[in-house]
Amino acid sequence: MISAPTRARLRFAAGCHVLLLPSMVLLLTFVYLPVAWAFVKSLYRFEIGGQAEFIGLQNYIEYLTIDPPTWPSMLNMFLLTAFAVLTRLTVPLVVAKLIHSLPAERTRYLYRVGFLVPIVVPGIAVQLLWSRLIYSDYGMLSETLRFFGLGDWTRGWLSDPHTALAALMFMGFPFAGGFEILVYYAGLSAIPESVNEAAALEGCTGIRKFFRIDVPLVLSQLKLILVLTVIGGFQGFEGIFVLSQGGPGFRTMVPGLWMYYNAFSYQRMGYACAIGVVLFAIIFSLTLFNLRYFRSAEEIQGHTS
Amino acid sequence: MRPKLARGVIHGILLTTLALTLVPFFFMVNSALRESSEFYHGTFAAPRALRQLGRLGLDAVEGRRGPVVVTDEFDNPRTVPRAEAARYYASRLTVGAELAWDLLRRYILNSFLVSGLTALGVCFLGSGTAYLLARYRFIGRKFVFTFILATMIFPGVLTLVPSFLLVKQLGLLNTYGSMILPYIAGGQVFAIFVFKSFFEGLSEELFESARLDGAGHWSLYWHIILPLSRPVFSVVTIMNVLGTWNNFLWPYIVNTDDRHHVVASGLYTMASSTMSSNPSTLYAAWTISSIPLLVLFVYATKPFIRGLTSGALRA
Repeated sequence: MISAPTRARLRFAAGCHVLLLPSMVLLLTFVYLPVAWAFVKSLYRFEIGGQAEFIGLQNYIEYLTIDPPTWPSMLNMFLLTAFAVLTRLTVPLVVAKLIHSLPAERTRYLYRVGFLVPIVVPGIAVQLLWSRLIYSDYGMLSETLRFFGLGDWTRGWLSDPHTALAALMFMGFPFAGGFEILVYYAGLSAIPESVNEAAALEGCTGIRKFFRIDVPLVLSQLKLILVLTVIGGFQGFEGIFVLSQGGPGFRTMVPGLWMYYNAFSYQRMGYACAIGVVLFAIIFSLTLFNLRYFRSAEEIQGHTS
Repeated sequence: MRPKLARGVIHGILLTTLALTLVPFFFMVNSALRESSEFYHGTFAAPRALRQLGRLGLDAVEGRRGPVVVTDEFDNPRTVPRAEAARYYASRLTVGAELAWDLLRRYILNSFLVSGLTALGVCFLGSGTAYLLARYRFIGRKFVFTFILATMIFPGVLTLVPSFLLVKQLGLLNTYGSMILPYIAGGQVFAIFVFKSFFEGLSEELFESARLDGAGHWSLYWHIILPLSRPVFSVVTIMNVLGTWNNFLWPYIVNTDDRHHVVASGLYTMASSTMSSNPSTLYAAWTISSIPLLVLFVYATKPFIRGLTSGALRA
C-alpha cells in the first residue's frame, strides 16, 4: 500500500503536471514530433500525397556520394561562414572599443543606438534592398564605380560566377552590426576598473592594451558571437535564396538551400529530410566540440582575472 | 593636444563606419519617394517631385508668381497655377507609398495578429510553466525541465521540412495557426528559461508571508509574480516579437495563398510578382515595413536592447 504522505506527494505532482500539460503538448507536437519525423522520413522516398517507399539509407548515400551540388555547397557554406566569423569577430569589436574609449556617456549611448537602428528593417527587406539597390546593374556599387571612371569593372555582381559568392559575403558591409557591438560593449564595460588602472600604471595603453587586456577579457563574448555566427552560417540560407537562388550554377548553393529546393521544388521530401539530418549531425558535433572548448576558454579567463 | 587629436580620429572612424552602415537605408527612403519612371537613371538622384517642390519654394522666397509649367512622369508639359503645381508634386511624392500601403495593409494586420498572439501565448505559457518549475518541488520536475531545455539542441534546419509536413497533415496550411502554434511551441522554451531564473531569484519570505495571509497558488502568481516581473515580461515580449516579425521563410512556406501572409513573406511575394517592375512601390513597402519596429525601438529603447542581448543566450 502507498502511505498517505506519498499519496499526497503523488497527487501534488500530478496536479503540477496537469498544469504543465499545455507547454508539454506543444513541445511534443511541434518540436519533438518533427524531430522524430526528420529521422524516420529520411529513410523513405515520397512526394506529398504520394505513396511512401522505404529505401533505407539510400537518401544519405545519394546525398553524400553522387549528388553533384553536395560538396560545392559544403565548401560554399564553409567559406561564407568563415568570412562571417572573420568580420563579426573583428569589425564590431573595434567599433565597440572605439565607442567605449569615448569619455562622455551620452555620446557613447548615441553611437550604440545609431548602429542599432538598422535592426528595425525586416531582414527580408534588407536582403531585397541589397539585391536591388546595391548589386543590380544600375545599383549603388556599379554606379559608384562608373563615377570613378571604372565602368569596365561593373558586372552583374550576383550573376557573374566570379563575384556571386563574394557579393553574398559582402552583404552587410561594413559589418558593424549593432547587435555584436552591444555584446562586445557589454563585455568591455564589465572589465573591472582596477584592471584598467593597473594597465595604465604599467604603461600598457592603446593598441597594446587592446590586444593584451581587452581581447582576452572579452573572450566569452567573442565565443558567443563565434558560436552564433557558425550555427547561423551552417543553417541559414534565406539571404542566398533571396539574392542569388544558389546560382549561377551551384556557385552560391549551400546545403540548407539545396534541402529547401529538394523539398519544395522537386517534391523529394524524404531526401530533404536526410539533408536536414546531415546538417544537424554537423551542427551537433560542432556543439559538442564547443562545449568541451568552452570550459577551457572560461579557465583562461579565470586565470587572467 | 594629443588626446584631443586621438578623439577626433575616433569620431572620424566611427562616423564614417556609421554612415556606410546607414547609407543603403537612406537611399531606400530616397527611392521610396521617387516615381518608378525615374529609376532608369540616377540611382543617387533626389526624387524629382522633391526637387520640383524645392524649386517652387525657392521661387516663392524670391517672390516669383504666376502660372508655372508642370511636367508629369511622361514629360508631358502643362501650365498651371503655382499652388496647384505644389499640390501636384506633393501628391507625386507619395505615389509609391500609397500603392505599397494598399498592398501592405493586410500583411501588417496579419503580422500584428501573429506576433501579438504569439507573444501573448509565450508570456502566458512561459511564465506559468516557469513559475511551477521555479517555486514548487514535485516529482518529475527535473525531468520536465531537461525535456524543455533539450529542444534547444535541434536546429531549425532539421525540423523545417518535417514541420511543414506536420502542419500540412494537421490541415493548418493557410491559417494563422500554422504560424502561431509552432512559434509558441518553440518560443516558450527560451521564455521559460528567462522567467525561471528570474522567479528563482525572488525571496521565499515574500511567498511565505503571502501564504500566511491565505493566498492560494493562483493568487501568488497573479499578485506577487506578475507585478514584480513586469520588466522580464517586456524583455521576453520584445525578444519574441523581433523573432516572429522577421521570420520570412516559415510564413512563406506555409502560406500558399495571399490571405495570411505576414509582412516578411508578403514583401518577398511582392518583389517576385508583377510589382517587381514598380520599384517605387517596393522601396516604399520596405520603408513602411520598418516603421512598426522603429516605433517600438524609439518607444522602448532600453527593454529593446535588453531583449536583444538576452536573446543572444538562446544558442
